[in-house]
Amino acid sequence: MRNSLSLITAALLGLLLSACAGMQSQQSDSEIDPWEGFNRKVYAFNTGMDKVVRPIAVGYDKVMPDEFQRGVGNFFRNLDAPVTFVNLLLQGKFTHGAETLGRFLVNSTVGLLGFVDVAMKMGIPYYNEDLGQTLAAWGYQDSRYLMLPILGPSTFRDGVGRLADSYYHPVGRAIHNRSEYGYWIFRGIDQRARFLIQDAEIEQAYDPYILLRDVWLQNRQYQIYDGDPPLADYDLYLEEDYAEPDAGPGE
Amino acid sequence: MNLLSKALLSVPVCILSFNLQADTAAKDPASLIEGSISNIFTQVIENYEHYKSDPAALQTLVRTDLIPLLDVPYSARLILGRAGRGIPREKVDAFAEAVVNLLIDRYSQGLLHFSESESVKVTVLPQRGALNEKLTRVRTRVSLPKGGEAPIDYAFHKTANGWQAFDVIVEGISYVTTFRNQIMPEVQANGIDSVIARLNAGDLELTD
Repeated sequence: MRNSLSLITAALLGLLLSACAGMQSQQSDSEIDPWEGFNRKVYAFNTGMDKVVRPIAVGYDKVMPDEFQRGVGNFFRNLDAPVTFVNLLLQGKFTHGAETLGRFLVNSTVGLLGFVDVAMKMGIPYYNEDLGQTLAAWGYQDSRYLMLPILGPSTFRDGVGRLADSYYHPVGRAIHNRSEYGYWIFRGIDQRARFLIQDAEIEQAYDPYILLRDVWLQNRQYQIYDGDPPLADYDLYLEEDYAEPDAGPGE
Repeated sequence: MNLLSKALLSVPVCILSFNLQADTAAKDPASLIEGSISNIFTQVIENYEHYKSDPAALQTLVRTDLIPLLDVPYSARLILGRAGRGIPREKVDAFAEAVVNLLIDRYSQGLLHFSESESVKVTVLPQRGALNEKLTRVRTRVSLPKGGEAPIDYAFHKTANGWQAFDVIVEGISYVTTFRNQIMPEVQANGIDSVIARLNAGDLELTD
């Protein structure tokens, strides 16, 4: 679901303006998430929406065989190729760009409109890029966390990137040019079905909002670093924060 | 999760750290993962129906084949961070034990999910660069039933018991970091005893 809705954009702008009007009720991490008060409200809204979406995704997951879901996943991944292609070029990764173009051509034709990932069998590697990642590669590393209505976790940078990408993403174009939401909704349900296994974990977390934020931001770093992000600074976890009982202050 | 596996989860785990130590001391991290994880997956794929109907057997498999590879007390200290200050050693150990139980529970569920399809495959990628005794990453790829692969990395360090892993990183998401960000505020708000009790009771129910 990387394409954006023009409808959503308008709603988002309205919500953003009200966020700027000051809702700093909670602050668990003022650097990463200065808009936490607002974000939590959108999260509550999304959780409400999920009461409708989740049962559909559960049904879809039960009825559709894995092979079909694999095909659907391939189909939508193939539709991301133009966005990935442009952003690979913007990041100066020309060889990867050529591979992505080849991948798109092969899968869209021999691969039956993308349902079969023929390119993978041919050994053409898959890349995933978008404008948010390009902006990060250009030096816009840290961006504040932003929970988008319906679309879910993002950052300010990635939200802007997503909107721009949607103007030439096939699914985004169907919405912008023809007000066709079918593909977008179908992809949303398919994506939701893939996350069903995580539901219990998130629901029963001490703070589901922070769990989702944490998981999303770490995974985003992973994408920005093309699958090879630096590991956490474990020494810092230990030395700065943990002291032997007898060394603790005020003991 | 049924009562049986719940009961199993509360069985003390003191014995587990003595298993397999002689074996693990000599091997490098990548071959440890290769031997252990691949073996667990093969077992579960080949006996999928058996393990699906007998969660206790699955948990035992994970407990004996995976847990000796892990330095759970160290993970527990990383997770507790500053919330561990001034907490007596035995409480930290009890916390580590609760983390082990939770890990076995989650890992077993993930195993069943992934092994549903017989085509699931675990590949251990070749080690990059020299082994660092403080931190060495082992990279693996697990093919998923619905297409695509999950990159699963293990962070190892060398201990008196040989190489042991202390973090699992799935698609860039570190178990230690994520758990730590949940646990620290909870310990600060409710105290360590309440957290240990919640972790020990914490089995997951999926509501469809």
